[in-house]
Amino acid sequence: MQSFPRWAAALGLAVSSAALCATPTPPPPLPAEHLTVEKLPARGPHWVYLVDYAFDNEIDSRVYLYDADVHRRLGQIDAGFLPGFALSPDGTMSVVATTYFARGGHGARTDVVEFTDTATLTTSREIVLPTKRLHAVPTLFNVAYSSDGRLLYVSYVTPAASFGVLDPARGTVLAEIDTAGCMLVIPSGANRVSSLCESGRLLTVTLDAQGHEAARSMSAPFFDADRDPVFVQGISTARGFAFLSFLGQVHEVDLTGAEPVFVPPWSLIGSGEQGWRPGGEQVGAIHRALGKLFVQMHRGGEGTHKDGGSELWVFDLASHARLARWPLKAAGLKPVVALEVSQDATPVLFAATEAADLAIIDAGSGHIRHVERRLGQTPWQLLTP
Amino acid sequence: MRAFDRLFEQSSRSLASRTSRRSLLAVLGQALTGAALLPLLPIDRGSQARAADATAKTPGPENCEYWKYCAIDGFLCACCGGTSTSCPPGTGSSPITWVGTCHNPGDGRDYIVSYNDCCGKASCGTCECNRNEREKPLYRPSRNNDLNWCMANANADYHCTVSVIVGVAEK
Repeated sequence: MQSFPRWAAALGLAVSSAALCATPTPPPPLPAEHLTVEKLPARGPHWVYLVDYAFDNEIDSRVYLYDADVHRRLGQIDAGFLPGFALSPDGTMSVVATTYFARGGHGARTDVVEFTDTATLTTSREIVLPTKRLHAVPTLFNVAYSSDGRLLYVSYVTPAASFGVLDPARGTVLAEIDTAGCMLVIPSGANRVSSLCESGRLLTVTLDAQGHEAARSMSAPFFDADRDPVFVQGISTARGFAFLSFLGQVHEVDLTGAEPVFVPPWSLIGSGEQGWRPGGEQVGAIHRALGKLFVQMHRGGEGTHKDGGSELWVFDLASHARLARWPLKAAGLKPVVALEVSQDATPVLFAATEAADLAIIDAGSGHIRHVERRLGQTPWQLLTP
Repeated sequence: MRAFDRLFEQSSRSLASRTSRRSLLAVLGQALTGAALLPLLPIDRGSQARAADATAKTPGPENCEYWKYCAIDGFLCACCGGTSTSCPPGTGSSPITWVGTCHNPGDGRDYIVSYNDCCGKASCGTCECNRNEREKPLYRPSRNNDLNWCMANANADYHCTVSVIVGVAEK
């Protein structure tokens, strides 16, 4: 190999020296970094759990924890296939009821509830279920805690309907209760579970200290499944739950006593507003202390009950008066399919759209504070701690 | 159509309030085996539905607007290696279903359509179609498209959905 000519080396050195003289001194090198695992901050007033059903790849659902004050995703809980999600009454634990297949999209099926500490997002315990768990879209009633947190109820559909009673402290399945075709686990008190029936009635099962059935009763019909069915996505109220109907009736159910009490239904739709309806996957939200109901509304006819809302309507639960009507399209939002509200004194609305955007909206003024783009794939349920 | 609906719904309501889970399972298992049992119900099987199916001017089976898909919610098997009436290779068909009543603009008739899920592989993930004409909530399972109807299959993962004409709905 021929050696590099001396004159060229000298020229190169001269050019380099000139360049060095012209350049400022480089900053000191970055310090060495240390790998750590982030810890969750103390719970903020505007945290929300967003359940992404990941419809295009359903075996990989997940729950995102998001802080609407800092516009930041804080962490994730894996959620498997068509999950149910719930928070314990004291807020310390979240539970995912889900299904896994041993080989990803196929293989032996395992139904399970998994417990995740809400302070660390560490999934630490599980209870294996019979392979009967309800596979359906999210509601508050796919899996639910008793009011004291001692029992956990899981909906089963095979398609025969029943539910499992679990002891989360001991990690055991205590019982399976037949619901005679009625669906879901609507909890009330420490030991009552109600289910929605096709006849428009509520079946209520009372459990004994061992989690076994002690008594059951069937209510009078409170809605007509033929003419105007209620959405199964009930909304938590101060005394029970509110169920909206396809045509916009509000059915409030008081579950504070041994038997359900049905408040006379009222309508979201005023005169001259025919054609407006609620719709979506989580059809409304209630701020319990303020007594306000928020509903995403759309214009549509029969068969549009899963359509997202183009407007948010706000109602006073006591007087049934509509307080506000906030159009969303003009603000650049796609139709809203899931809605939740924080329960603090300065609440924000969380509105998930069909484009998988999450809008953070001032619940007092309707002002859109922030839009988090593409938070997941199909964000069909939102829960606030 | 209404007579059929009433018959099906009244019997289901009555069952739901009267029967034990075991007997309900037996009856539901029969009632929900859409393609297998519905021919026994009051529907006219003498008509030639396929003679007036999709035309060049109307959407076909790979299009969500295809008339048979009026109450479907899922991925169209016609886009996933199957057809509107057949599951993709290597999947299994669900024996239990929900049904819809769809109007065929080609011949002006209403048809009872059984929506069977195809099972045993992960989501097809293409041609998502969500239409809900006369669809009812979960507590009326025979008309509900939110359930995973692969639930009773040996391999219960959901892949896609077909739509099978069962017969003409009686007026």
